[in-house]
Amino acid sequence: MTKLTRIISVLVCAAMLAGCAGAPAAATAEPQAQAPAAQAPEATAAPTESPATETPAEDVTIKVSLWDAETSPTFTSVINAFEAKFPNIKVQPIDTVAADYTNKLSVMLNGGSEVDAFWIKDADTIFGMVNKGQTEDLSSRVAASGVNLADFNGLADSFQIDGKLVAMPFRTDYYVLFYNKAVFDAAGVPYPTNDMTWAQFEETAKLITAGEGADKKYGAHFHTWQACVENWGVQDGKNTILSSDYSFFKPYYEMALRMQDVDKTALDYATLKTSNIHYSSQFYSGNVGMLPMGTWFATTLIDKIKSGESTATDWGIATLPHPEGTEAGYTVGSTTPIAINSASTKKDAAWEFINFVTSEEGAKTIAKDGAFPARLNPDTLSIIVSADGMPEGAADALTVKNIVLDRPIADKVTEINQMLGEEHGLIMLGELSVDEGLAEMAERAAEILK
Amino acid sequence: MKEPSRSAKIGLYAALCVICPLTLLPLAWMLSSSLKLDKDVFTIPIQWIPAIPQWGNYIKIWEKIPLGVFTFNTFKLTIIITLIQLFTCSFAAYGFSKCRFKGRDALFLCYVATIAIPWQVYMLPQYTMMNKMHLVDSHMSLILLHSFSAFGVFLMRQFMVSIPNELLEAARIDGLNEYGIYARIILPLSKPALASLSIFTFVTIWNDFMGPMIYLNTTEKKTIQVGIRMFISQYSAEYGLIMAASILSLVPVFTLFIAFQRFFVEGVATSGLKG
Amino acid sequence: MQKKAFGLETRETLVGLSFILPNFIGFAVFILAPVLFSFYLSVNSWDGFRPMEFVGLDNFVQIFKDRVFKRAMVNTLQFSVFTIVFTLVASLALAMMLNQKLKGIAIFRSAIFFPYVASIVAVAVVWNMLFQKDYGPINAFLRFLGMVNPPGWTASTKYALPAVIIVVIWKNMGYYMVIYLAALQGIPPELHEAAMIDGASAIDRFRHVTLPMLTPTTFFTVMMLTINSFKVFDLIYAMTEGGPGQATTLIVNYIYNQAFVSWNYGKASAASMVLFALVATVTIIQFRMEKKWVSYM
Repeated sequence: MTKLTRIISVLVCAAMLAGCAGAPAAATAEPQAQAPAAQAPEATAAPTESPATETPAEDVTIKVSLWDAETSPTFTSVINAFEAKFPNIKVQPIDTVAADYTNKLSVMLNGGSEVDAFWIKDADTIFGMVNKGQTEDLSSRVAASGVNLADFNGLADSFQIDGKLVAMPFRTDYYVLFYNKAVFDAAGVPYPTNDMTWAQFEETAKLITAGEGADKKYGAHFHTWQACVENWGVQDGKNTILSSDYSFFKPYYEMALRMQDVDKTALDYATLKTSNIHYSSQFYSGNVGMLPMGTWFATTLIDKIKSGESTATDWGIATLPHPEGTEAGYTVGSTTPIAINSASTKKDAAWEFINFVTSEEGAKTIAKDGAFPARLNPDTLSIIVSADGMPEGAADALTVKNIVLDRPIADKVTEINQMLGEEHGLIMLGELSVDEGLAEMAERAAEILK
Repeated sequence: MKEPSRSAKIGLYAALCVICPLTLLPLAWMLSSSLKLDKDVFTIPIQWIPAIPQWGNYIKIWEKIPLGVFTFNTFKLTIIITLIQLFTCSFAAYGFSKCRFKGRDALFLCYVATIAIPWQVYMLPQYTMMNKMHLVDSHMSLILLHSFSAFGVFLMRQFMVSIPNELLEAARIDGLNEYGIYARIILPLSKPALASLSIFTFVTIWNDFMGPMIYLNTTEKKTIQVGIRMFISQYSAEYGLIMAASILSLVPVFTLFIAFQRFFVEGVATSGLKG
Repeated sequence: MQKKAFGLETRETLVGLSFILPNFIGFAVFILAPVLFSFYLSVNSWDGFRPMEFVGLDNFVQIFKDRVFKRAMVNTLQFSVFTIVFTLVASLALAMMLNQKLKGIAIFRSAIFFPYVASIVAVAVVWNMLFQKDYGPINAFLRFLGMVNPPGWTASTKYALPAVIIVVIWKNMGYYMVIYLAALQGIPPELHEAAMIDGASAIDRFRHVTLPMLTPTTFFTVMMLTINSFKVFDLIYAMTEGGPGQATTLIVNYIYNQAFVSWNYGKASAASMVLFALVATVTIIQFRMEKKWVSYM
C-alpha cells in the first residue's frame, strides 16, 4: 500500500468515527426535537389585544395548507378575493393531492412545519389534532370579531371541544337525491318529490328499472362507500356511528340487499367493487334513475354535461328520501373546517384569513363556484341554484331542515369508520348476514372504544 | 452464451408467446383508457377499443398541469440519485465483500435491518430532521433521502461476493492497490449488476410518489407522479388523463431498460476471467 | 511478526472502512438514525407530537391482543410463504429462458419486466376483470375444466388472498428476473464447459453449476422477497382495500393504520419489530448458509 493511501485511510477513519458518533447523537436528538413543538400549545398568544378589524400594518405572508388547487377553483378564488381585500397579507398555498392530504397535513403539523392555517379534509380527523394541542382556540377571536356562530346552521357547534372553538366551518356538503328525468319519462313515472320516504324510493326504483344486459336502466344506485347505506341509519339524528348496538342500520342493509339481489333494481356491490365502477360514470351514461349522493356532485355533473361527456342531460334534484317517522328535510352531511396552527407565529394574519373565508363575503365567493358554504342561507343558496345548468326546483330541494354529521367529531371515530367499512363489505357481499354483520360491528366497536 | 438448438428455440418462443400477452394486458388497458372519456374507462365488460378515441387527452395533460416542469424535475432527481447510488453503493459493496475487517458483518446487518423496517414507521422522525435542517420543500431532501440506499449496497455486495478472489490476488501481485482493483477489475466485471441497479434505482425514483408528496410543497418543484395524482381530485378522477400521463411516463423507463438489458447477454462479466 | 500482523489488520480495516464511508455517512444520518429511533419508539407511547412516555413491552402486549393484528399476522405469513417460493421459482425460470441469444430478446424481457412498472390502477382493474366471478376468463377456464362452482376471488373472503398472491407474484417476477439475469452473467463459462466435458447433462449442470453459483443472488432474492412481501401495500389496497373484511389485510396495513389513523407510533413500531424479528431470523440463517456454500467468502 502506498503512503498516500495510508494517509487517506487514516483521514477516512477519523471521519468515520465522527460519523459513528454522529449517528447515535442524531437518534437521541429526535425525542428532544419534539420538545419545542410540544411547548407550543402553551404559547396561546392572547388575541384579545388585537381588534379583528385592524389588519397588521406590516406585510405578512401566511402559509395555508389546502388540496386540489390545480383542479378545483374553490380555494383559489377565495384566496384571491382575500388578497384583493387585504393587500398586505399574502397567502402562500401548500397544495397536496386530495387522496393524501390528511396524511401530509398531519406529517407537517407533527414535524414542525411552518404552516399557519389549514383546511381539514375529513372533519373527524381534527379530533387527533385537538388532543395534541395543534389547533388554536378561536373563541376569543370569534367574540372580538363579532362573528355569530348561529349563522353556520349548527355546524360550528361540532367544533366546540372542551370549551374551545378549534376550527371554523368553511363549506358543507349533504346528501340529496339526483335523478335522471329520461329514465322516469321512459317508464311514465312521476319524478321524485322532496317528501319521499325510503320505502317509496325502493318502490319507485322497481317501477323505473327496465331493460337487460348492457342497456339495463337501474332504478337506483348505491355507491360502494358504507356511507351510502349506513348514512340513512343515522339520518334521523337519533344515533351516531359511535354505538354499542348498530341495529339502526338494519332496515337499510335489508333494503340495499333486496334491491341488489332480489329486485335487481340496483347494480350489486360485488360488481361495482371488482369493476371499479364510479357512481358518476353510471349516472353520466344514463344507466341510473336515482342516485343518493352528496351536493358536491352537482357542479361536476353540470361541467360534464357542458363538455358533452354526460349523455344524461335532463336531470333533477330532490331532497334525500327520509325514514318513516322522520320529517322530510333531515339529511346527512359533512363539513370542511379551517383551523389555525397553534404553533403559528402569524396568528393574527391567519385569523384575518379564516375570518374572511368563513364570512358572508367568502361564502358568496365560493358559492359562485358551486361550492356549498357552511354559511348556508337563502342568499348563498340562491347564488348556487342560479348557476347555469342547475335544474328547476333545486332551491326547494336543497333547502333542508337539519344536517346530521355523517361522522361525529369525537375520539376514535376514524377507527370506528374503518371498521364499519370492513363489515359493510362483508354484509354487501353476502359473506355475513345482516344480523351477523351488525353483531360483529358492535363487538368490534366495543373493543375500539374500550 | 451459446445459440440454443432449433427445437429449443421453438419451445422458447411458444412459451414466451403465452406469457407475454398476460404481462402486457395492463399496457393494453392503459393505452385504451388513455384514449377514453372518464365515464368510459371503467365499464362492464371492459371495452378494449374506445368508441371515439380521445387523442385530445394527450394534449390536455400538458395544459391542465405543468407537466413539462414536472418531467424536468423528475429527470433531474432520478439522474442525480442514480449516479450517486451507483458510485457509493458499488464502493461500499467492495468494502463489504472484498475487504476483511472487524465488525464488517455487523455493519452489513445494520444495512439489511433498515430495509426490513417499513418506511411508515420512521417517516415522521425523518421529516422532523429534514425540517430542522431546512431542507423540506427542496430537491436536496429527496436526494439525501434516496442516495444512500441499503438496497443498492446489498445488491452490489451479493454480486461481488461471487467474483473469484483469485482474480484480486493476481492483481495485488501485479501491484494494484485496493482502489485500483475496485476501479480496474471489479467495476468492469460488475457491469451486469450495475445495469440492474441503474434500472431499479431509476424506476424507483421515477415512480416514487410518497417522497415528493411529503417533502415538496411548491408546485414548481413537484414530480410527474405527484402530477398524475393531481388528476384525482376530492370528488372525481380523470382516468383518461391519468392513463395518458402514465403511458408517457413509461417511455423513459423502457428506453433505459432496453438500453441496459444488453448488459445481460454479452457476457461482460465472464469475459474478464479468460484474460 | 505479531506486531506486523496487527498492523496489517489495522490497515485492512482502514481500507475497508474507507470504501464503506461515502455511503455510510449519508446512510447513518438519513436512514439508520431514524430507524434506530423507531426501535426506541416500540417501547414508548407516542402520538407523533407530544412528549413520549416509556411503556416497556406494553405495545407488544397490546398488539398481540388485537384481533386485527392477529388476523394480519396469519395473512402475512401465508402471503409471504407463497409469494416468496413462487416468485423465486418463476423469476429464475424466466431468467434461464431469457438468458439466450434469441431474436427480439429485448422485447420479451421488457414485456416480462412491464408488470413491475405498470400503473397499479391498471393492474388492479385488469386482474379484477380476469378474476370476475361470472364472466371472467379465469372462471370460464375453470368451468371448462369441469369446476361447477368456481370461486368469487377478490369478492370472497376465502379466495381474495390467493387472488392477491397470484397478482403479486405476476407483478414482481420480472424484477427478480432482472437480478437473476445479471447474476447469470457472472458464472464463468469454463465451469459449464468443464462439466460438459465430464458428460454432465443440462439438468446436472443446472443443479451442480448454475444453482451453487447463484447462491449469493438467491440469498439476496429471498431476503428482498421476504422483506418486500412484508411491505406490499399499494397493489393490495388498489385491488381489495385489504378486504373483503380483513381477508387481505397484512401487517403493513396494520402498521399504516396505527401510524396514520390512530396516531399510535409505539404500536406501529412494535408491529414492525415483529416483522423485523422475522426478517432477522431469515437473514441470519441465510448468512450462515451463504458462508458454508460460497467458496469465495
